[in-house]
Amino acid sequence: MSGQSGRNQWGETVLGAGVLALALGFMGWTMGVTGGGGSHGQYKVTARFGDAGALQAGAKITISGVKIGQVAKIAIDPKTFMAVTELALNSDVAVPSDSTAKITSDGLLGGAHVAISPGGAADNLKAGSEITNTQGAVDLFGLIGQFIRPQGGAAPAASSAAPVPAATPNPATAAVPTY
Amino acid sequence: MAAPVPPLLSPLAALGRAVLSACAGVGTVAVFAGRATRAALTPRWYPAQILRQFWAVGFLSLPVVGLTAWFTGAALALNIYSGGDRFNAETVLPQIVALGITRELGPVLAALMLAGRVAAAIASELGAMRATEQVDALVTLSTDPMRYLVAPRLIAVTLSLPLLAMVADLIGIMGGMQVGKSLLDIAPRIYVTNTVDFLTRWDVESGLIKAGAFGFIVALMGCYHGFTASGGARGVGRATTQAVVTAAILILAADYLLTSLFAHL
Repeated sequence: MSGQSGRNQWGETVLGAGVLALALGFMGWTMGVTGGGGSHGQYKVTARFGDAGALQAGAKITISGVKIGQVAKIAIDPKTFMAVTELALNSDVAVPSDSTAKITSDGLLGGAHVAISPGGAADNLKAGSEITNTQGAVDLFGLIGQFIRPQGGAAPAASSAAPVPAATPNPATAAVPTY
Repeated sequence: MAAPVPPLLSPLAALGRAVLSACAGVGTVAVFAGRATRAALTPRWYPAQILRQFWAVGFLSLPVVGLTAWFTGAALALNIYSGGDRFNAETVLPQIVALGITRELGPVLAALMLAGRVAAAIASELGAMRATEQVDALVTLSTDPMRYLVAPRLIAVTLSLPLLAMVADLIGIMGGMQVGKSLLDIAPRIYVTNTVDFLTRWDVESGLIKAGAFGFIVALMGCYHGFTASGGARGVGRATTQAVVTAAILILAADYLLTSLFAHL
């Protein structure tokens, strides 16, 4: 650092320039790959779910188990209280407009993701369109609770054999085959 | 002070002396920091000195910082892989590596490397100048050593550490990418796409802000201990050691403080 700098710093200078070039090159390459930070080669559609469960932004979106995009954003609709998700799909995959999106997970502890079952419509989803057929996350513990105490935890124990028509017919019950 | 202390009370007196001297030490550093900051923020500046320090601190630290960052990113990725593997979450490797590098390890490790490389160099250089009375000679030449010696270093280190942290971020992610490719077969293209999609602007920015604060600490500790060195060659050696140790401790303490502050923003 002091006065006798100069000649003997050539090696360090070259190394420093190399490191800098490496970092800048990597940054340039990253920019190229990801399209300058934005999403390149993807289009966004929305989907509303009754329960987003453990879904997080960045979770993958799959068709037949193959990743075709990722969840860009999860927000709450202040009016309907549904979870509004923004799904970024790769533009090389054309998804029929009547496809079904459902939130599932890989195994018990795996991360939640969105699985799309393609429909049969002739037209495809476009940027900004909405997937209307959705199926929210299955509340696994709720299901287990229902299995253990089929009448539902809140039902008064005194109701002797009264056929309790489950106060809240959980739509998710229909989704049991998911697991 | 001069009153004789009864023997029974001498441990208390020793404790009191230690506390008082600790307080005095903190106060001296604070006063030094205030004077140095004022010298750095107000004219007159010495551009040639500042540029020279930029070169010595910023550019010549690149190899060390880059190497550290690469190995850290790679080791982090390996550890996340073996940890995430236990609950089937090893595919989030790019995201966790990116988060760990940009928010924490890039700035902190770059700062620690600079504490070793730069704080020591500054302390020994200024300490040697102090020991050979060159600092006093500057005063004789009506040059303020605070402006000529301390301010350029403060400016250069504080500004170059964020830049070095940026380089460390990039190269650390590269290291993680290398492991992701060889271990998980994640294509580099996908790795960086996942990383860029996941990272928020604040993840990077908070790390760079921290790096600026660390740079200030590194320069301050180097200058302070060099400036106050006394006792010839041995004093210079002691100043160097203290500069590195105090800089490293303060960096880690400031890291915790700043991170918890950012968490509440």
